[in-house]
Amino acid sequence: MARSLSFTGEIANLLYAAQPNPVQACIQCGTCSASCPVAGFMDHSPRQLIAMIRAGQREAVLRSNTFWTCASCYLCTVRCPAGIDIAYLMYGLKRYTIWRNRHAPGLIGPAFSRAFMRMIVRTGRSWEPALAPAYLGRRGWRGVIDEMRVAGALFLRGRLPLRPRWIRRRRALREMLRHIIPVGGPA
Amino acid sequence: MSTAKRLLIVDDDPDFVDGIRAILEGAGYAVDAAFNPRDGFDALQSRPYDLLLLDILMGRGAEGVMFARKMRKDARLREVPVLIITGLREQIAFLFPGEPLHPHLVPVDELLEKPVEPQLLLEKVAALLSASERRKAAGA
Repeated sequence: MARSLSFTGEIANLLYAAQPNPVQACIQCGTCSASCPVAGFMDHSPRQLIAMIRAGQREAVLRSNTFWTCASCYLCTVRCPAGIDIAYLMYGLKRYTIWRNRHAPGLIGPAFSRAFMRMIVRTGRSWEPALAPAYLGRRGWRGVIDEMRVAGALFLRGRLPLRPRWIRRRRALREMLRHIIPVGGPA
Repeated sequence: MSTAKRLLIVDDDPDFVDGIRAILEGAGYAVDAAFNPRDGFDALQSRPYDLLLLDILMGRGAEGVMFARKMRKDARLREVPVLIITGLREQIAFLFPGEPLHPHLVPVDELLEKPVEPQLLLEKVAALLSASERRKAAGA
């Protein structure tokens, strides 16, 4: 039995259930990077990130904003000639850095992920007017105006409720979550 | 033949495994490690272990919970004492503020939260092992 584990092995283990494993099966063709609609905002393209994982560049991978920028559109996964679920790899890296508190500072993703989860546990539904304001100012006034324009259009089409909505039987949702994770008294 | 108790660690964090292994081997235990739940379950079935140290957050999520529930269904494995070592409070339990974490995933388990204090770890391991011995003696 192995006594230690390389960074590449660690990431492969995180995705141990995936067939084929996103790390080991990559042929570095770059189809994922060429397909990615948000690659321009990433520190490293998906192809580069996989190469870095395989080269064991732990710190550079963990500092990268690539997996937090992923829009989860799954185009890379659909187009990969090796059949690799690259979007799944991005989710795996998000989990890895959140669980170990190793993500780059100042990213929206980790804080947003927690705020979103808190809202879902409390109400069972996502309510954008509570989630969005904290991030409105990050792109300056132009960003605020853009967002207001989008919000206005959504509101006019009835897609932006002004009052929070929640599911019925929220207590049942919490009980279900307590059954999944060992929290809140004896199971 | 060595009489050292044999322990298995199933945890996907190699740095944490190295630390825990050093503490346990220093106390005279024989320690094996598996870094994902599948390898861990295979190891558990391949040879008898006196105690399992199990992480919760692995792979796709709270897979340690699924691991323990799978053990509970196995007549032989459900007798293996389990020490759950988890950083769950920081990562997920913030959703349930003020509520305790509990083990009770298998009939015989205990829970320790990361970061682990070495002396407390050794005490819990010794207590679980001696309770297991007593159960075996009573059942024999």
